[in-house]
Amino acid sequence: MTEVVDIDDVTVVLDDRVVLSDVDLHVSQGEVVAVLGPNGSGKSTLIRAALGLAPVRQGDIRLFGTPISQFRNWQRVGYVPQRSTAASGVPASVREVVAAGRLARRRPFQRADARDRETVEQAIALVGLTDRSDDRVDRLSGGQQQRVLVARAAAGDPDLLVLDEPNAGIDQTSQEAFARALRTFVASDRTVLLVLHQLGPLGPLVDRAVVLDAGRVLREGPLPIPADVTGMPQEHAHSEHRETGLFG
Amino acid sequence: MIVLADFMQRALLAALLTGLAAPAVGTYLVQRRLALMGDGIGHVALTGVALGLLTGWAPVWTAVVVATLGAVAIELLREHGRASADVALAMLFYGGIAGGVLLVGLAGISAATLTTYLFGSVTTVSVGDLVLIAALTVVVLVLCIGLRPQLFAVCQDEEFARAAGIPVRVYSMLIAAMAAVTVVVAMRTVGLLMVSALMVVPVATAQQLARGFRATFSLALLLGVAASLTGVTLSYYVDVAPGAAIVVVALFGFTLAWPAGSLLRRQRFAGQRAETGRRGHVAAEEHVHEHDAECGHPGVPHDDHVDYLHGGHLHARHGRHYDEH
Repeated sequence: MTEVVDIDDVTVVLDDRVVLSDVDLHVSQGEVVAVLGPNGSGKSTLIRAALGLAPVRQGDIRLFGTPISQFRNWQRVGYVPQRSTAASGVPASVREVVAAGRLARRRPFQRADARDRETVEQAIALVGLTDRSDDRVDRLSGGQQQRVLVARAAAGDPDLLVLDEPNAGIDQTSQEAFARALRTFVASDRTVLLVLHQLGPLGPLVDRAVVLDAGRVLREGPLPIPADVTGMPQEHAHSEHRETGLFG
Repeated sequence: MIVLADFMQRALLAALLTGLAAPAVGTYLVQRRLALMGDGIGHVALTGVALGLLTGWAPVWTAVVVATLGAVAIELLREHGRASADVALAMLFYGGIAGGVLLVGLAGISAATLTTYLFGSVTTVSVGDLVLIAALTVVVLVLCIGLRPQLFAVCQDEEFARAAGIPVRVYSMLIAAMAAVTVVVAMRTVGLLMVSALMVVPVATAQQLARGFRATFSLALLLGVAASLTGVTLSYYVDVAPGAAIVVVALFGFTLAWPAGSLLRRQRFAGQRAETGRRGHVAAEEHVHEHDAECGHPGVPHDDHVDYLHGGHLHARHGRHYDEH
């Protein structure tokens, strides 16, 4: 199996505080891996380190087999940061934000072509916001803003999707909609690495979980993980039917 | 027909260029929540102007060099993002203005000359100034418009931009350098102490009326030009510093746009709620889930409602079941 994410013995120090120490994480193609753990356990830092966004004191990180410092194929990666970043000082429409997802495939001064525009519309449709595409992102609900960020990552047509707490503060409907979009994504043998505070409707999709505590891997393995380890309500794995294609 | 004095023609041309460059860079600064960066650079640029006055080099050139160095320093401090950066910035600002006043004093130049740089002056734009201002404005506009997708991504979400392989640091420095150049471009018309207003106020006004980034950007440029030209003309007839006149005109525009903006938003909201007629129908098969904006089936707008693409046919919600459309 092809390794997509390789994190070996990684230590991250932020502001003189050890956030991750000697953490290992390996994700293979087609897997859905969840990073679980209490607040401040280093979950977000771990996936940010995987993308070269956190300062790594020690250890090795590879994406698609290439050391992170030499990695240039950013169009293979779709990153969904925490939602707080969706709104900015100047209003932007849903379409404008999602269009930023194509930038890894565009050169400076190169205009968006028909394929760029088409893919952006498809990504907006995937998260069900077609009728809001000209609206300001900051006027949308929290769940809708989160879906805009998912669409932005999807617009790049990535092979690896990395999500930071996509379900935080999101209503049940949006969570379920999001689970369906993810299922579609995984069905085409693509890879997902995500931070979750709670498994929720995404539980059945997750192949494997890594539980962090105070910057160390506490436990790793297939779900279900006993509640006393994760410190969260027990989820059971459904044998749910998988939708076949992008549009079911 | 009124024949304008040569100095007035130059002042109006400078105002036009300033009105374009300031809001163009300003849009990115506001988006990054760095609205006051222009103000800080203005303070630092004063040292550059004083250096020019002292040495006899053109103050516009020395100001470009010093302001760019200052802007890069501000950006580096910001990048570190430590609590102390705030204090370091304040020191840089006041160091800049103190250095300027000190050098001007050493050169034995009057306070009146300094005032023309602080608040703008319509009578002192030379042909040489104008040529340089025009060249710098063209460079700033080409970069601001040509690199808009990249600059937008960097200002909107730095983390995401990094993960998309965009060299965030290069673009951040570019924005800082463009802000410095723009401060100098605007120095002769609005003046160093008010340049920030022309970078920020047209953008704030535009976002009352526009829904997207691109629309805000274009409208801000239009408003910036309108405010600069009106302000400079006003200062010619009333004999006040053009900087003050431009800023007052820009703020007046904002007070007009604000209520208009709230009205516009209310109307759009009402428009989204409007509902109309229905038609004959065929009921679709049983559903395991409800189609909604979030079910993963793509929505297709159809007159007054949304149909959902489901296995090659369209479903529309009707009461508790779905119709084939």
